[in-house]
Amino acid sequence: MDWPPARRTSYARREQNLALIGAVVTGAVLATGLLLLVLSRVNPAYSTRLRIAAVSAVAPLWSTLRPPFDAAGDAAGALGDYIDTVPRARRLAAENAALRRALQDRAALAADNAALHRLVRVAVPSPGLIVVARFAGASSGSYARTAMIAAGTRDGVFPGQTVRADDGLVGRTAEAGAHATRLLLLTDATSRVPVTIVRTGQPALAVGAAGRLLEVRDRGGAEVPLVRGDRLVTSGAGGLFAPQIPVAVVVDPRAEPPRALPFADPATIGFVAVTRAYLPMPDLPVAAAAAVPVPREARRR
Amino acid sequence: MTSPYRLLGPAERRRYWRAYAERTIPALVTLALIGAMTAPLFVSVPAVPDFALLAVFVWASFQPGLMPPWLAFAIGCVADLLFALPLGVHATLLPVTVVVVRIVDARFADHRYAFDWLFAALVIAGFAVLEWQLLAIAGVDGPLAPLLVQAGTTILAYPAVVGLMAAIQRRLQAGR
Repeated sequence: MDWPPARRTSYARREQNLALIGAVVTGAVLATGLLLLVLSRVNPAYSTRLRIAAVSAVAPLWSTLRPPFDAAGDAAGALGDYIDTVPRARRLAAENAALRRALQDRAALAADNAALHRLVRVAVPSPGLIVVARFAGASSGSYARTAMIAAGTRDGVFPGQTVRADDGLVGRTAEAGAHATRLLLLTDATSRVPVTIVRTGQPALAVGAAGRLLEVRDRGGAEVPLVRGDRLVTSGAGGLFAPQIPVAVVVDPRAEPPRALPFADPATIGFVAVTRAYLPMPDLPVAAAAAVPVPREARRR
Repeated sequence: MTSPYRLLGPAERRRYWRAYAERTIPALVTLALIGAMTAPLFVSVPAVPDFALLAVFVWASFQPGLMPPWLAFAIGCVADLLFALPLGVHATLLPVTVVVVRIVDARFADHRYAFDWLFAALVIAGFAVLEWQLLAIAGVDGPLAPLLVQAGTTILAYPAVVGLMAAIQRRLQAGR
């Protein structure tokens, strides 16, 4: 007779055991998922490194895949430009003349403004350009409205910097890896931008609503009704965004809260510029040496 | 495998490894669809369907053994990280989807296309509402409307994803 004796397990019993193990594993998986959610609430930053790794894996892929499509698009655009050359040149010449006049006025105003600044000794920080990059990925599911660029800490990009395009503000940098960065767009449900309403001078917040439009909330000052076409520019409050960057234009003043359309539409932007935060992070105050004796247990070794 | 690996000939060994590689295809296809969702296309409404949900749903129905809840959990973690959602939203809801699909498939043998689509629509709508609740638990309070819009496009995208997965499934079975 063989040794060890052949195991006699019934098929049904094996199935039963497997089903039990499966149920236990499933329960554990669901419990882990819920635990992760609670952790996200307690400490939203705990998964930052994983997120950066995920972005770093995807962004180079898209920045590699993109050029052929861009080239095709550019070729089609070039053909259209060629056909449209003469009317466009005339239009641009007229626009150029108008802009040159506006520029002369602006130069006078700028000189005036600089003289006034000198008079009252206003210190105006100059936000420096860090890098210009092209979008290399996006996530437009559910609430999150984020984009990725293929530039990271190696290029000097860090979380909490301004991202703008020619048309206006695009958003801010949220998570930065060595070679890839995730941007928080204005339309993200968690985006809040302190703005000034140009016509009335009121401060307000431009709040993302996970859609096409922004909500204008928390208007301060007198209750002046908004009108269609009111421009919102950054107020500079908070120190992240420099003042006077165009943000959005009010399109639905009657809604509650009023809605505004961002000037910069990521769908039509090729390149974005990352600039330093307007005001540098304040230095932490140096703690004064304790005047009372510190117990030995509390001393740091 | 009935005989030890050392006794297998080269062709049998290739077949053995190939069979193992084929088991990873549902997961790889799902991850590829999630990667495709991060394409740099910006749409003003949340019109991009949730391919992660669709792929997990379809594979849980076609090949329950190759889309177990723990794999759905891992895929959900990747989806959350790439979609900039709080970690745990998809990681909880995708395993729940797998469990629901398994229960319903065990109860109802009806696999007519209309029934499947209707069932998918119910699961997707439920997913949107639960996602809203879980986001609130994770501290992201927002309106339900964008999630419902995405649920609508996801329901509309169901036939395309089912067609793609069915083609892959047929290729796999033909290869055996």
